[in-house]
Amino acid sequence: MATIEFNQVGKSYGSVEAIKDFNLFIEDGEFCVFVGPSGCGKSTALKMLAGLEETTNGSIRIGGKDVTDLGPGKRDIAMVFQNYALYPHYSVRKNMGFGLKMRGYPAAEINERVEEAAKILELTPYLDRRPRALSGGQRQRVALGRAIVREPAAFLMDEPLSNLDAKLRVHTRSEIVKLQRRLGVTSVYVTHDQVEALTMADKIVVMKLGVIQQVGSADELFENPCNLFVAGFIGSPGMNFFRGAIQNTDGRVFTTFGGAQVPLPDSLAARAGKEAIFGIRPEHIVMGQGNLQTELSLVESLGTEKILHFQVPAGQTIDNSEFEMDDEEDRDAESMRARIIDDHKYQNGETVNMDFPKSKIHVFDIETHAAIK
Amino acid sequence: MIDFSSPRHRHKLGYLLVAPALILMALIIVYPIVMSVDISFQDVKIARIGVDRKPWTFENYEWLFTSAKFYQSLWVTIKLLLVVGGAALAIGFATALLVNQKFKGRALARLLVALPWAVPEVVAVVIWAWMLDSSFGVLNWVLLSSGIVSKPIAFASDPVAAFASICFVMIWKGYPFICIMLLAGLQSIPEEQYQAASVDGANVFQRFLHVTIPNMLPVLGVAFIMTALWVFRDFAIIFVLTEGGPIGSTTSLAIMTFEESFKFFRMGQGSAVGVITLIICALLSRALVSRFAKSVN
Ligand SMILES: Nc1ncnc2c1ncn2[C@@H]1O[C@H](COP(=O)(O)OP(=O)(O)O)[C@@H](O)[C@H]1O
Ligand SMILES: [Mg+2]
Repeated sequence: MATIEFNQVGKSYGSVEAIKDFNLFIEDGEFCVFVGPSGCGKSTALKMLAGLEETTNGSIRIGGKDVTDLGPGKRDIAMVFQNYALYPHYSVRKNMGFGLKMRGYPAAEINERVEEAAKILELTPYLDRRPRALSGGQRQRVALGRAIVREPAAFLMDEPLSNLDAKLRVHTRSEIVKLQRRLGVTSVYVTHDQVEALTMADKIVVMKLGVIQQVGSADELFENPCNLFVAGFIGSPGMNFFRGAIQNTDGRVFTTFGGAQVPLPDSLAARAGKEAIFGIRPEHIVMGQGNLQTELSLVESLGTEKILHFQVPAGQTIDNSEFEMDDEEDRDAESMRARIIDDHKYQNGETVNMDFPKSKIHVFDIETHAAIK
Repeated sequence: MIDFSSPRHRHKLGYLLVAPALILMALIIVYPIVMSVDISFQDVKIARIGVDRKPWTFENYEWLFTSAKFYQSLWVTIKLLLVVGGAALAIGFATALLVNQKFKGRALARLLVALPWAVPEVVAVVIWAWMLDSSFGVLNWVLLSSGIVSKPIAFASDPVAAFASICFVMIWKGYPFICIMLLAGLQSIPEEQYQAASVDGANVFQRFLHVTIPNMLPVLGVAFIMTALWVFRDFAIIFVLTEGGPIGSTTSLAIMTFEESFKFFRMGQGSAVGVITLIICALLSRALVSRFAKSVN
């Protein structure tokens, strides 16, 4: 049994608060991913769990045991680093067996376990090479191997795939998930890539500026983001946003998009007259029907799938600075995107009808950015 | 007109650009070397430009390889090299490890460590010569008044004490450079290797043994060879402290070169010693360069 528990954990570097009020419970055998833009404190949280950084306050438990004051070697965890951190002067075999050797296992058993891990990771032909004679993907597997031979209570991984090229990344991603399922070891995985988080995790922890925003499964986060940040961060291409007033005439609740009415759930009637931020995912926009009209500013065709760009109506754009988005994805608050799979040939400049289905619209408070149910 | 930006002529521009530097280097580096090799093959007392040259002869080298003084100087140099190289490396490594730690006043500590290196050699040695003086030296005063010795140590006239004081000053002067080099090496070891090792359960000593030492081996090798080269060539420390005495017990190859040439005015023989030293140093540099090439890979 190795559950992991963060209890009111905080971390300050001088006056900088890198982690605030971090509370989290990870089940035994669960694959948990910390995700958030770079600098949000994911690595710091992981290093505190590993014992490489001390906590400023709060406590951490692994398998029910308080490890807050234990060193990394005594926490029974294994860690995989972004740059692999292999020992360059030792062979793959020695790298993988290092942890067991430090713990005083007999040489025969170390060798047996290393051979077995090498078989799982298809590293057997490389056991007597030095890390520098391996490719990036192979080095990554050696780092994984070093972790699994120890049979630890938990695996910790800090952006283990970010040094690999895109194709290998996708491949290794599924390899890691399969390995984790097979071994059933509780794992904590850090990434800034929400696609990795969605595809790998049982439990996703979305962080921003050292604070947990939301914890949940991929579906929960995708369908019910608890605030504007999570809504914008999860999903690719990201959710579209526009602002508008909630109106209520004769029991019909709606807002407007470029003058046309967009029906809203009745539960929002109480907020009539107030401004709000509305969100709709690109894949939920329906084209070719409905009362909304817009002119397509750009049509990107990806074969079967098309990304249609159009402008947010004047006065309804939201301030870009309200997001601390990924650097990779430069969000353009002026335009919206729809993701469509149909047979219609869309043209740049074409005027199209579309619909924002009522059940797919997310509503956020204009001040607190919290989701309104 | 040749277009130097075309791929066909690009390399020619390179040669053209390094030519002035090459010519200058040839003049100020190669010419004196050629001169001393030339002189070492002649029976010259005092070399003068414009005087008729003497016929070439192996006399100087024959003298050299049969002279006890040469072998003694070689032995003194090797002893110096081992003692100074070993001790400076050990002390330099220890201080580098120390000032690589995080503590308050680290910047100041690093500056203090580097200080002996920054003092001009002759100035430093004159000060040490004074401190080691047998009648007025502060060191003898301390040793005497604290009762460690009963009569002053004659640092300049006792062979063992003279050799020891040369070693001491050389180490004092040489370790800061080693320390700075090793510090740079220590800082280039990725932090993650230490973190990985501590997650793997290695304690401080095991991390030193399995991470620090293997990562530092190439740098340690280079540092040792650099020190060796310096010990071979250094002149000022020995000359100011003991002038190679007493009775040749601190005469290194560099001192012998000087003595033969300018004390006994046997420039041919002096040059022969110099040429042999040059060859040894060249072999050492060769080892150094291939070490560097290896550690860069
Ligand atoms: N050793 C340190 N000293 C001071 N500030 C640090 C240190 N390590 C991290 N930080 C700060 O803590 C915050 C979180 O860093 P980190 O956990 O590395 O972010 P992430 O891994 O999510 O990109 C950042 O603002 C970073 O500048
Ligand atoms: Mg990080």
